[in-house]
Amino acid sequence: MAYKPQYYPGNTSIGANRRKHMSGDLEKLRDISDADIVAIMGHRAPGADYPSTHPPLAEMGEPDCPVRQLVTPTPGAAAGDRIRYSQFTDSMYNAPAIPYWRSYWGAINCRGCDPGTLSGRQIIEARERDIEEYTKVQMDSEMTDPALATMRGCTVHGHSLRLDEDGMMFDMLARTELGSDGNVYYAKDQVGIPLDKKINAGKPMSEAETAKRTTIFRCDNISFGGPCTAESRSFDEGLVALHHMWERRSKWGFRPE
Amino acid sequence: MGKIHTKKLFVKALNKKFGKDFDLSGTKTTYERLGPEQNARKREFIEAAKKLEGKRGISFYNPMLHCGGVPMGQRQLVPYKLSTTEYIVEGDDLHFVNNPAMQQMWDDIRRTIVVGLDMAHEVLEKRLGKEVTPETINNYLEILNHAMPGAAVVQEHMVETHPALVDDCNVRMFTGDDDLADEIDDQYLIDINKLFPAEQAEELKAAMGKTSWQAIHIPTIVSRTCDGGTTSRWSAMQLSMTFIDAYNMCAGEAAVADLAFAAKHAAVIQMGDMLPARRARGPNEPGGVSFGFMADMVQTSRTKPWDPPQVSLNVVAAGTMLYDQIWLGSYMSGGVGFTQYATAAYTNDVLDDFSYYGCDYAVDKYGGWAEAPIDIETAKDCATETTLYAMEQYEAFPTLLEDHFGGSQRSGIMAAASGVTTGCITGNSQMALAAWYLSHLIHKEGWGRMGFFGYDLQDQCGPTNVFSYQPDEGSPLEIRGPNYPNYAMNVGHQGEYAGISSAAHAGRGDAYACNPLIKVCFANPALLFTWDDIRKGYGMGGAREFRAAGERSLVMPAV
Repeated sequence: MAYKPQYYPGNTSIGANRRKHMSGDLEKLRDISDADIVAIMGHRAPGADYPSTHPPLAEMGEPDCPVRQLVTPTPGAAAGDRIRYSQFTDSMYNAPAIPYWRSYWGAINCRGCDPGTLSGRQIIEARERDIEEYTKVQMDSEMTDPALATMRGCTVHGHSLRLDEDGMMFDMLARTELGSDGNVYYAKDQVGIPLDKKINAGKPMSEAETAKRTTIFRCDNISFGGPCTAESRSFDEGLVALHHMWERRSKWGFRPE
Repeated sequence: MGKIHTKKLFVKALNKKFGKDFDLSGTKTTYERLGPEQNARKREFIEAAKKLEGKRGISFYNPMLHCGGVPMGQRQLVPYKLSTTEYIVEGDDLHFVNNPAMQQMWDDIRRTIVVGLDMAHEVLEKRLGKEVTPETINNYLEILNHAMPGAAVVQEHMVETHPALVDDCNVRMFTGDDDLADEIDDQYLIDINKLFPAEQAEELKAAMGKTSWQAIHIPTIVSRTCDGGTTSRWSAMQLSMTFIDAYNMCAGEAAVADLAFAAKHAAVIQMGDMLPARRARGPNEPGGVSFGFMADMVQTSRTKPWDPPQVSLNVVAAGTMLYDQIWLGSYMSGGVGFTQYATAAYTNDVLDDFSYYGCDYAVDKYGGWAEAPIDIETAKDCATETTLYAMEQYEAFPTLLEDHFGGSQRSGIMAAASGVTTGCITGNSQMALAAWYLSHLIHKEGWGRMGFFGYDLQDQCGPTNVFSYQPDEGSPLEIRGPNYPNYAMNVGHQGEYAGISSAAHAGRGDAYACNPLIKVCFANPALLFTWDDIRKGYGMGGAREFRAAGERSLVMPAV
C-alpha cells in the first residue's frame, strides 16, 4: 500500500484545514491575473524581462554531478533568475493562514523555496518566476482572505492589532483598502510604493467563513485546550502529540543514545 | 483541581492605557492615524530636535520620513504601567537612554566587586606579624572610604577626584562571624542580621562561615568612562594603598604584591565573567553575568520572601532590562527595537497575572510552594495550564494582544509565567526550564506562530538541553548565562531565565539562588538603585524622579 502522508492530527476544522494547507489540496477562490500579482510583489514591472544572476543552466556547462542528474531545476533556476520574495501578514483574527502553515505549505509543495517564519509575517524566497507562481497560488486560494492577509514586504505591524471598523487588518502604510464595491484593493505594492492602478484582490470572507477556514486555534472558535477553564480542559489531538514530542525531546537530551 | 483565577491584574493597566470605559474585549477599533503629535513625549522629541537642528548644522530627528513620508504613529500610542506600581510612563521613558534608573541599575552592577578580607589579613598576620583587630579593620575601612572614590593616601597630596562627583562610591564589609560583625562600626557594615529575615540570615552566615568580605562599589563615573574590567583594577589599587596606610607597611615591600594579587585575582568575585574573543568584553560586563548572580543581585527575596512569584518577577524585570535592552540591544546589536521585548515583561501587570494564575493553580493542586513532585509531569501540567490560560487572555482581550504586539513578546511572557510557576511549585530550576520550553511549543502549535527566525530555533530545539550533562549544553540554569551557547544571541529569553532560576529558590524559601556573597553585597543600603523593587525603580526613572550618579554637570557650564 502506498504511503499517504497524514500531515496533522485532529478531527477539528483546524486540524482539517492544517492538513489541507500542508498537502497543497487548496480550494481556489479567485483568479488574480499574473500581471497584477507581479505588480503587487513589486520586483519587476509586469511584462518586463526577468533580471538574471547567471546564464541559463543549459548554457553553463554544468559538471557531471549525480545530484544534478537527480534534481530537475525549477524553471527559475534553469533560467538563472535572481532570488525574490513574497511576504504575508496574517491577522490573528481568524485569517485562514498562519505563518508556520504557510511555511509548511511552501516547504512541502514548492520546489526550490526558502520559507522564513516569524510571528507577524511569513516570507518565502525563491527564483523570481518560481516565487511569482507560488505567490499566485497563495493569493488565489483559500490560504488568503484579502481583508485579513496582506502582502507586506516591510512595516508589517498589524497581525495582532484590532481590526479596523471595516474589518480590514491594520496597516500603517495602508497598502490595501476596502472599495465601495465590497472588494479589497491593493493601492500600494508590498513595500508601500503606490501602484499605477488599484488591483482588485477579491471580496473579504464573512466572519463565519473565516471561522470555518482558519488554521489558528482560538478560544472563541475552536479551542486548543478545550473549554477555556482549568476545570474542564480537553486537549486537542495536536496538543497531545506535542506533549509527546516535547517529553521525548527532553528525555533524549538527558540520555542521547 | 485548580481554582478559577479571576484577578486579571492587567485589566487595570489596560484601562489606564486605553481609557476607563474602554471596551477591552472589542476586536475592532477606529484607527484615527493621528501621527506622532498624539503623544506628549514624541511632541517633546520633535520640539527638542527642532531647537537643536540649527545648532547641530545637520538634519536630525524626523518621524515623517518613513516610506516616502507616511508619518509614524498611525496606531494609537499608549503609555505603560510599571507592574505592581502606580507609575505610568511613555514607552520612550523605558529606553535605557531616557531612563537614568535603568542606567544606574547597570552601573551598580558594573561598578561592584566583592573582595575577600581574610587572605589579606593572613598576609598581614602570618607573613608580617601585624595585628589585625576589629579596631584596625574599622580604621582600614575609614581610610578606604576616603581612598576608594579616588583620593590620595600614603603619597603626598596628589591629584584627586572631586568628592561631589564620586559620592556614590562606598565600601562596606560583611561577615558570617557575628562576633566580628558586632565590633564593626555600623557605617561600615552590611548587617546580615538586620537586613535579612532570620532564617535567611542564618542560611547566609552558614554558607559563608566565619569569612569576611568587602562590598566595593567604585564611583559610577569611573565605570561609565572605562568599563567593567576597570572595577577590580581601580579597587585593587585603592585597597593596596589603604592596607599600606592602615597597617603602616612599607610601600615597596613584597607583601604589598600579595595584597594586590589578592585584591585583583585571588580573593575577587567579579559580577560577570570575562567573555571569549568573539564577544570580547572584560569581566564585569553584562554578557558574563550569570542568571544565578542576576537572581542574587535582586533583593526582593529578602524584603518579600512570602511572595515567591513577586521575587521572580523582579528578577525578570532586572534581567530583561540588562540582558535585552543593554546587552543584546546595545552591546551586541544596537538600535532601539529591543526595549519593547523587555518592557512586555515588566509592565502592565501581564506577566504578573499569568504567573500568579499559574501559581494559584499549582499551589491549589500540589499543596504549596516547592511541594510538587520534581518530575516532568509537573512541568507538563503547569506549563500547559499556564500557557493555555495566557493564550486565552490574549484572545479575550484584544487590547492585551495589541499591547504585546509581537510574538516574541508573547512567547517570552507565557513561557516565563510557565517557568516561574513550575520553579515556585517544584523548587527546581531545571523543571522550570522544561516548562519554559514546553510553553513555547504550545504557543507555536496553537497559533501557528511564535517569535522570529532565531528565537524559534532556540526554543524548538531547547528541550534537549534541559537535562543534558554534556559540557557545552548542560549546566544548572543558575550558572548558565547570556553566553551559554544556545542563549547567546536571543532577545526575550535571558532575563526570563534569570527569573526562572530565582523562582526555584524563592519557592524553596532559599536566602540565595547561586552565591550568598552576591546576595549580601547587593543588600548594601547605600546602593543607589532600588534593588528590592526593580519595577518601581524603572518607574521612578521614567517619571524623572530618579537621580543617578556619575553626572558631570558640576564641572560643566550650565545648559
